[in-house]
Amino acid sequence: MTANTALEIKGLVKRYKDFEAVAGLDFSVREGEIFALVGPNGVGKSTTLKMIATILTPTAGSVSVFGLDTARDAHAVREIISYLPEEAGAYKNLTGRDYLDFMAIVFLKDKARAAAAAEAGALLSGLGPRLEDKIKTYSKGMARKLLLARAVMIKPRLAILDEPTSGLDIVNAYEIRKTIKELAAGGMTFLISSHNMGEIEFLSDRIAVVNKGRLLACDTPAALKARFATDDLEEVFIKLTQ
Amino acid sequence: MNIFLVLLKKEIKELLTKQLVLTIAATLLVFHVIGKAVGSHNKASAARNTIVLLDLDRTPLSARVAKAVAAAKTSLKPAPETDINAALAAPEHAAENSFMVIPAGLEAEVTAGRPSAIGYYSRFRRQASGLGPAIAASRIRRTSQAASAEISTALLERGLPGLSPAFLRDPAPAAEFAVINGHTAQVSLSQVIGFIQSQSFFFPVAVFFIVILSAQMIMTAVASEKENKTLETLLSSPLDRRMLVMSKLAASTLIAAALSGAYMLGMRSFMAGVTGLGADPSVAVAAAGPALAELGLTLAGTGYLLIGLSVMFCILCALSIAFILGILSEDVKSIQTMMTPLMMPLMLAYLLPIFIDMSTAHAGLKFLLYAIPFTHAFMAPQNVMMGNIAQVWWGIAYQAAVFAAFVTLAARLFSGDALLTLRLKLPGMK
Repeated sequence: MTANTALEIKGLVKRYKDFEAVAGLDFSVREGEIFALVGPNGVGKSTTLKMIATILTPTAGSVSVFGLDTARDAHAVREIISYLPEEAGAYKNLTGRDYLDFMAIVFLKDKARAAAAAEAGALLSGLGPRLEDKIKTYSKGMARKLLLARAVMIKPRLAILDEPTSGLDIVNAYEIRKTIKELAAGGMTFLISSHNMGEIEFLSDRIAVVNKGRLLACDTPAALKARFATDDLEEVFIKLTQ
Repeated sequence: MNIFLVLLKKEIKELLTKQLVLTIAATLLVFHVIGKAVGSHNKASAARNTIVLLDLDRTPLSARVAKAVAAAKTSLKPAPETDINAALAAPEHAAENSFMVIPAGLEAEVTAGRPSAIGYYSRFRRQASGLGPAIAASRIRRTSQAASAEISTALLERGLPGLSPAFLRDPAPAAEFAVINGHTAQVSLSQVIGFIQSQSFFFPVAVFFIVILSAQMIMTAVASEKENKTLETLLSSPLDRRMLVMSKLAASTLIAAALSGAYMLGMRSFMAGVTGLGADPSVAVAAAGPALAELGLTLAGTGYLLIGLSVMFCILCALSIAFILGILSEDVKSIQTMMTPLMMPLMLAYLLPIFIDMSTAHAGLKFLLYAIPFTHAFMAPQNVMMGNIAQVWWGIAYQAAVFAAFVTLAARLFSGDALLTLRLKLPGMK
């Protein structure tokens, strides 16, 4: 593991009673990189992200976040990561601002740091006065923007985003992608999962294509396209997974 | 800022919705309104305390009977008819439901030493419901006793002129004593039973409400966090997971206690209205207060503390079990079904001791009931009053052990993969 490695995964396996969701994954992510994990539905992407986020335990192999092992040092890992689950919800009876305040104190504990983070989150969400309304009145796009703001406002060293723009309209998805780009330029590391190959190409520095719990390819979008002699990343995906 | 308080505040905000508060307020209002309406209706019904009298004997004795009945707080309405069917059909008696027929020859028959039946007719309306018929039946019983007693008095006065008829009718009145734990006091048995039953009725109802409400709340809290995937975010935070568990337990208990208090207020207001007693059930037996205290049936500070501890551990046991069931729930919709494993022992613990005398119950049944941690709380007031203090302490120790076991299991499940991967499928669940 080099000095600027943000994430290192070695021989990662997750086995349930009757099937293997992740069957021996190996890849690493550099600090400040936007790294995409892509693959068909049900091939173990979300399971992998959950293991990195310390909410599932690997059956075998290891996950290291900035040199900290997720199994042995789970608590320390949780101090430096932020995880946005796919189709995550928020507490419907809280207002957007209450939610940001609550999450900031939960993640940062220190009152002053939490207040600053919640303020940053309020700005990042772009929800303005609607932050004073209850979350149950939000559209899907507004809720997702709030959740993304929550995920990055605490300035994690590694942000794990599962389908960050899933179900959003063009404008909302564009704004979220722009925010991710800006934050990565500031040094934040991103691990994202998405089915939108246009989004992946726009955002990612490198892509890992997985199928049936195994890694098929891992490279920059340009290198992958060159390898399969095509200008279309979707074609690369199809050729790799079929 | 204390992170536990932050979590507690958030849990309360999530659980205590406007809809919940409105539902409780509406329930309280309905309880109150029904209690008031039933109470005033029954009072009006009782006030209309009239019996139509057909005196076919028309002798000094029948006049004396009528006077005695009137003295027993029943107003008699003499009717001119000489036949009960004519009286029942008469338009002026259309609103009357109770009729008394003193037969011709009553005085002659009883003087000759032969019984003569006085007829009592009660008219049931087609749409009779509520407590009206019961009030009418009680009125007839009271009238019949007064009439019969007056005829006895008349006969005794004639037959044994030197002796008091009241003495002759009850020469050896019962002096009832209750003996509890070596303490003896002169008190009516029905008053002692009434007091014990009032304790064993109101108290378990309150505990039952608290347990059901708090269990449902904590299951909803856990299952909705799972369903909305807010739980995954919390689990990836550097928060102590035990604190997450404790904040949910605390919030559910607090709200459930407040709601149960509200329910009990409503219930007491309802019962007070319906029965006409005071809001406090002990009012009915207040007259026997000193005797009950002599028997050790009143609760002192230590007694309340013991009962409080038993109830607290009962709630904690239910919450820890409900927490596990919430973890195993697929979603919020499945909570009603997932309550079954908790409801069954709770119903057994609540209902069986009401109908079964635990001191003489079959050993197997006793074992089953005492294995349910909730039973100990339901029976705590009776055990404290009866002086079974050791049994209450053992019950508390057992409840604490059950709680420790389940909360350890809950915390273990909450910290592992099971939270996201385990699902319990009960029969009938899709």
